[in-house]
Amino acid sequence: MYGTKSKIDLAFEYQTQAAILRPSIHSRRANLTVKFQDLYGFTVEGNVDDVNVLNEVREKVRQQGRVWWALEASKGANWYLHTTIGQGSALTSSLKFSALANAITLKKLIRKGIPPVLRPKVWFSLSGAAKKKSTVPESYYDDLTKAVEGKVTPATRQIDHDLPRTFPGHPWLDTPEGHAALRRVLVAYSFRDSDVGYCQGLNYVAALLLLVMKTEEDAFWMLAVLLENVLVNDCYTNNLSGCHVEQRVFKDLLAKKCQRIATHLEALEFDVSLVTTEWFLCLFSKSLPSETTLRVWDVIFYEGAKVIFNVALAIFKMKEDELLVTHHVGEIINVLQITTHQLFDPDDLLTVAFDKIGSMTTNTISKQRKKQEPEVMKELDQRIRRLNSLKMEGK
Amino acid sequence: MAATAGHNNLNAKLVLLGDMGAGKSSLVLRFVKGQFLEFQESTIGAAFFSQTLAVNDATVKFEIWDTAGQERYHSLAPMYYRGAAAAIIVYDITNADSFTRAKKWVQELQKQGNPNMVVALAGNKADLEDKRKVTAEEARVYAEENGLFFMETSAKTAANVNDVFYEIAKRLPRAQPAQKPAGMVLVDRPAEGSRAASCCS
Repeated sequence: MYGTKSKIDLAFEYQTQAAILRPSIHSRRANLTVKFQDLYGFTVEGNVDDVNVLNEVREKVRQQGRVWWALEASKGANWYLHTTIGQGSALTSSLKFSALANAITLKKLIRKGIPPVLRPKVWFSLSGAAKKKSTVPESYYDDLTKAVEGKVTPATRQIDHDLPRTFPGHPWLDTPEGHAALRRVLVAYSFRDSDVGYCQGLNYVAALLLLVMKTEEDAFWMLAVLLENVLVNDCYTNNLSGCHVEQRVFKDLLAKKCQRIATHLEALEFDVSLVTTEWFLCLFSKSLPSETTLRVWDVIFYEGAKVIFNVALAIFKMKEDELLVTHHVGEIINVLQITTHQLFDPDDLLTVAFDKIGSMTTNTISKQRKKQEPEVMKELDQRIRRLNSLKMEGK
Repeated sequence: MAATAGHNNLNAKLVLLGDMGAGKSSLVLRFVKGQFLEFQESTIGAAFFSQTLAVNDATVKFEIWDTAGQERYHSLAPMYYRGAAAAIIVYDITNADSFTRAKKWVQELQKQGNPNMVVALAGNKADLEDKRKVTAEEARVYAEENGLFFMETSAKTAANVNDVFYEIAKRLPRAQPAQKPAGMVLVDRPAEGSRAASCCS
């Protein structure tokens, strides 16, 4: 399309000049779409307002970094690694109290965001990845990647097919080096858990993990802890039964927490899973801007998979007024897509997710999952039987 | 209801099904935006698009669900084809397995889908003639036996892409879908050459 080049040039111009634009000019130019790079190197489209928001986010990230460093200085390096309560009965009550206080501080702090430089270390410790890694020999990942090198399975073929289709155009992920690293992580995992093998969607998750963690091995362990400990079981296996369960739990929660929206969408015969399935399988990485996605992941790795529900509900909640006046499937999807793509300020989303949705505990979600599981299994089973009978007829 | 009619205006839900990497998203991107990307992001769950076509006396607004191709995503498919007025089942002419998968989709739609659904079979990547594994004749015979209309397409060169959607638009029942089933006329058209369909955006 003509004019693209000049738009890119404009983007650079705006990045440097946006701060000094007069409000009147600013608002006039706000309608122009420009392309720019976000904090993790992704090219995104937005208007001048979005560029400004992203610059504010950069500044907030720096401030948040200063908060973390100050805490390191006052509480000691790696203080956040010792917040687990109840470990070892030898702890004196005063130590227990300080651990509890630290845990509360940490929860708040993480909801406000982990600075990108600290993310690898903090995620690795708090998610349980470090512990998982410590239970196997030091050379586990190297041995695994060497052992599976050159092996061809259905999973490796699908992985190879998806490598160039995972965030194409990203300055590192879409290079031979990026493809090779992503390949090793995904292939290694497909051999670690043959029930999962490779599921489309994991390519995006693993790619972002690589960008954050910097090393393949750490990205691998983060992927392992995510699939084996953080997310619901069977989210990515065979017929995605875990994902089906999550969708049902989500629908129930939407009906409870955002009743008007749920009623309206139901009247339009709109099944919310049409859009939320991707959110749950890619953990928002295909819908939200990268820093916003990673802020969500910050909390997922500390508080668990219930956070996905908070965030998904928040996206609907934020746009309640707009959603209530939609008449058509296309309009609903437009509202949700535009909203997610433009959520450059993670705090806009997370404030709603944690302050306006009402608390949900991991326990509540687990109970809901247990309730939905039998029905999901029954449906999937019936479907398979119908399809099998089809095959018999065909013979 | 599958296709809803106003005065000469139709809304029609259309779903694309087919094996991973057959080119479902590329066909949609070509039809909706006139673009082609060598490496199209893999689709997770499904992606939604809409596009309007003018056909004879009517305009048809397609609401397109482009679904994920990996086999395990199969279990999500009913959500997307439920209530669909039309389906395009896509295979890759350079990949025989993808043709087998396409046949499975046809079976499933015949059993589970809307009985009046207009179903097209699209043999994509027709530009890769030297790597062909599925002959046009084989697919044409299969389509004829199963009451589908068949075209070979290339999202890369745009050959026949608009035509598939245009043909579907023409075949959509104009009145209540239940009263007037879709035609089962087979279109025999050479694979090469792209003809411009009257497509308005």
